[in-house]
Amino acid sequence: MAMTMNGQVQLSASREVVWAKLNDPEVLKSCIPGSEQFDRIAGNEFQAVATVKVGPVKARWKGKVRLSDLDPPNSYRISGEGEGGVAGFAKGGAKVSLSDKDGGTLLTYDVEAQIGGKLAQLGQRLINSAAKKTADDFFIKFAAAVTQPQ
Amino acid sequence: MYAFTQHRPATVRQAASLLAKQEEAKLLAGGHTLIPTMKLRLAGPKHLVDLSKVEGLSGIEMKGRSLTIGAMTTHVEVQTSPVVRENIPALAELAGKIGDPAVRHRGTIGGSLANNDPNADYPAAALGLGATIITNKRRIPADEFFKGLFETALEPDEIVTKVQFPKVNKAAYVKFPNPASRYALVGVFVSKRSSEIRVVVTGAGANGVFRVTAFEEALKKRFGAKSLEGLTVPADGMASDIHGSAEYRAHLIGVLARRAVAAAG
Repeated sequence: MAMTMNGQVQLSASREVVWAKLNDPEVLKSCIPGSEQFDRIAGNEFQAVATVKVGPVKARWKGKVRLSDLDPPNSYRISGEGEGGVAGFAKGGAKVSLSDKDGGTLLTYDVEAQIGGKLAQLGQRLINSAAKKTADDFFIKFAAAVTQPQ
Repeated sequence: MYAFTQHRPATVRQAASLLAKQEEAKLLAGGHTLIPTMKLRLAGPKHLVDLSKVEGLSGIEMKGRSLTIGAMTTHVEVQTSPVVRENIPALAELAGKIGDPAVRHRGTIGGSLANNDPNADYPAAALGLGATIITNKRRIPADEFFKGLFETALEPDEIVTKVQFPKVNKAAYVKFPNPASRYALVGVFVSKRSSEIRVVVTGAGANGVFRVTAFEEALKKRFGAKSLEGLTVPADGMASDIHGSAEYRAHLIGVLARRAVAAAG
């Protein structure tokens, strides 16, 4: 099944700082909910492991994440695909753009993803809400990370 | 299903200590959410702490103006209890509309509240009646218990033991069930207890159960379906899936709230 999600987050840091944090695997690792591993394997490719827990469902996902269409410090595309064992698979990406606003930075994201396997069959009533919650959790942590000194 | 070890403690204290000691342990109440999830291997807890042999976790009792229901009390016990029917009939009716007969005979009130499924019925009753959730550690008001999608104020080794509902003057629950699962696509619980009015929605919010304060204020002036005419809930923050868009759910809240108020009288 396909899933789309978009939103905007106001961050109190300059566009350059936000851009640097968006490209820092340590920052991404600490902000991705349930993230266990986020290691650079080459240039802009990363190996990621995350445990996703939504209610009774708990699945460990392994996959690759890639940054592309880099236009510093304005926008990039983050994409990936992962396997959650029998739970299913997911692949997709998000276009992330930055612009100056109110002395800080406005981050706009536009996600498109494909989810398959059992999780997609069973989770249809929950996937959108779960994805939104994951994004919200990520940005709460990310908003705190960008205001920390480098 | 992945292999797991089943524990059958006899007391709440033993259950809590097992839960704290074992890694990847889950409590097993009625098992009608957890077991199907495990069968599909969407969850693989290493330990199950079965509450079925724990003494004193089920039963229904009216004391003064509050109704206490044990956490392991099944939906069908609440549905058919003369005590519940006499004191809070809306609660008995709600229990009778949960899932199917298998779910109602196995599923428990404590399990449903601890799971906090965004489409479940009991969270609407707990928040809609201003209940208190009693655990092995403390008493948690419903207003502080539900923390979003499948999240509650419960700590990892905390166990719901009882739920206490205050007797209200008026209450009703109206839901628009998904025809296959009977989960609430949208459900609205309204109650009136002297000057306190609650309008609570389940199934619609992306973050689970929530109160509609604008509706509550309107009903404070006059408790009648007419008071809600023209009032709407914004679609922002509503869940959206193949069964219904956010706008559709927001619309249903208005319709069902008016019906619930009319049913409460």
